[in-house]
Amino acid sequence: MRTRGRIIALLAASAAALIWVVPFAWMAVASLRPGVPPDIASLTPSGPFGLGNFVEAWTSGSFPLWYLNTFLMCGGILAVQLVTISMAGYAFARLDFPGRDVVFSLFPLQLLLIPPLLIVPNLQTLVSLHLYDRLPGIMAPYFASAFGVFLMRQTFRAIPKDFEEAAMLDGASIPVLIRHVLLPLARPGLVAFAIVSLTAHWNEFLWPLMAVSSPQNQVLTVGLSTFTSGAEAGSDWGVVAAGTFFVAAPLLILFLVFQRRFISSFVSSGIK
Amino acid sequence: MTEITRRTALKTSLGGALAVTAAAAMTKTAFAADPVEIDLFFPVPVQGKLADKMKELIDRFNTQHADIKATAVYTGSYDDTSLKTRAAIKAGKPPAAVIMSANFVREYVINGDVDPWDSLIEKDGKTAAVYFDNFWPALKPNAVIDDKVYGIPYQNSTPLMYYSVDAFKDAGLDPDKPPETWADWLDAAKKLTKADGSRWGIMFPGTYDYCGWLTSAFVMQNGGQYYNHDYGGEVYYNAPSSLGALTLLDTLVNKAKVMPPGVSDANACTSAFFAGRLGTMLLSTGSLSFVRDNMKTPYKVAFLPKAVRNAAPIGGASLILPKGNTPERQAAAWTLINWLVSPEIAGEWSRFTGYFSPRKAAYDLPDMQKFMSDHPDAKIALDQLKFAVPWFDTFNTVAVRKAMEDQVQAIFSAKVAPADAVVAAQKAADELLRPYVEQTALKAIG
Repeated sequence: MRTRGRIIALLAASAAALIWVVPFAWMAVASLRPGVPPDIASLTPSGPFGLGNFVEAWTSGSFPLWYLNTFLMCGGILAVQLVTISMAGYAFARLDFPGRDVVFSLFPLQLLLIPPLLIVPNLQTLVSLHLYDRLPGIMAPYFASAFGVFLMRQTFRAIPKDFEEAAMLDGASIPVLIRHVLLPLARPGLVAFAIVSLTAHWNEFLWPLMAVSSPQNQVLTVGLSTFTSGAEAGSDWGVVAAGTFFVAAPLLILFLVFQRRFISSFVSSGIK
Repeated sequence: MTEITRRTALKTSLGGALAVTAAAAMTKTAFAADPVEIDLFFPVPVQGKLADKMKELIDRFNTQHADIKATAVYTGSYDDTSLKTRAAIKAGKPPAAVIMSANFVREYVINGDVDPWDSLIEKDGKTAAVYFDNFWPALKPNAVIDDKVYGIPYQNSTPLMYYSVDAFKDAGLDPDKPPETWADWLDAAKKLTKADGSRWGIMFPGTYDYCGWLTSAFVMQNGGQYYNHDYGGEVYYNAPSSLGALTLLDTLVNKAKVMPPGVSDANACTSAFFAGRLGTMLLSTGSLSFVRDNMKTPYKVAFLPKAVRNAAPIGGASLILPKGNTPERQAAAWTLINWLVSPEIAGEWSRFTGYFSPRKAAYDLPDMQKFMSDHPDAKIALDQLKFAVPWFDTFNTVAVRKAMEDQVQAIFSAKVAPADAVVAAQKAADELLRPYVEQTALKAIG
């Protein structure tokens, strides 16, 4: 029985993986095919193949600049988020203050707001902070994360209090406690959050499009669309696929390299 | 040339003004060492390296105009561009000018988010009406609203019929005699369609935006107006001309079965066309370059088929002047816009993009005449302009347009009968237009 269950689970997982991999496989195949071949949808074409699309995509945009801006944006957001969510998560998990549970239950409500609703108010805030059309302006609205706070609270609560009590007996202050006792133990939660945050902001299009105008502040997603969108005509699928590959590649590589660690993080943090 | 003279004159007068100490305050904005900075929002609606070309044009403008520093800001699709423009105006950072989808201009006027170009036109010693004679007349209803010029046409298109010469020959049709009427078109499509599904007679995009554009074409070919071209509160969805047009669509897909069921997008149409699996397709003239570059077998283009009359709706974009700019930025924007729509630059942009140039004089230039004789397909697209009709624009344009598009898409999927579709579309549209109608046409007086 047990083995049969395992086989069924394995088959189901393989089927899901297969569905998941099709777009990537198609992207890889299409990016290698020059022009607009009639069987562009095919996953197993006969050729010809070439790297021309990659050359065309790379020269169509300022990829080095877009990579830099995107790294700065995602890295900046994550760096600040890790600080804010750890501190807020600790407050909700351990500190006793009046109205804690009410505030905490209201906190995730902000996840329900659809982002386009906030575009104009957020832009007005950026203008008054003199952050309009600057990279920190794209990052600012994400410095606090309801999801991250929720996740860190759960992670901290799962850590036995004994560790903290032992540290407190030795005279550790709260910042020292968080930094040296709780955060190392909460690493799986932090890593899990980092993946979610990085992929979300890496792939984001609308807000960066709204928040910056100058070409030197452009990020990958917006840059990619400068030469791939084509509402009135057809699309040059090969170039689109090659450009998309450039955008997706860093995250793909990151995931492949740290695959084992990511998976163990998700398992131990309870997100699946 | 007039541009340069005017600028030289400006500088000369500034030189004089500089000598006068009282003018010291002015020099900050006008002196060449401190150019006026302006930004131009632009969308990229057709595939290709348009963004690069736009940057190149703006760089050239900047080197020719030392007193202005313009930046071209890429802003996504037409819809994204409108969203960003609105947000920027609300946030107090209006761009100096925007290349805006021409059917959105009326809404900007209704919402009071744009300034007219009239005072800037008049400063050059022309009346707005005389100035607008530079452009094709069909562009006027989407640009001149309530007697003021709100849009300066920049890049324009109409739908066009593309057909495969090989498919025509194979079906026993004469490739030199494209179908001229709906009846001819249906007959040809029946011959072109293969029962085994390896070739369709007709395809055109049924996705949002394209769907409404082509539906309006069919209705106007059928003699209708489709919407009130002068007032943003009325549409004529439940009219005999609309019913006839939707009945044609129902016939093509569900009765004669010469067009694939469901909603196809532009990519599906071009892919089928390039693969030889399609006889005729309706697509924007903005796709001419793309089709020319990718179609391996011979193809030709023709006017859209007519019912009681020929009609091809305008598409494309106009330059608008968002509210909230300083007079210096407005003047600099005007200089940029005049340069962009000058016959030379307008012609260059047209040849690069495949859009037709809204500026009539562009076609008198030698480069353009050579291009037209080299590309007979572009010539036909231009000739069709004599049948151009304005582009659907109302209060809440996109939602009102969708009220009809949802019904047309339902017809493509055989979910609704044309007679019910026109009633449902009209009802939904009237509901959406009511707030505006109550503020305007139905507003009680006294």
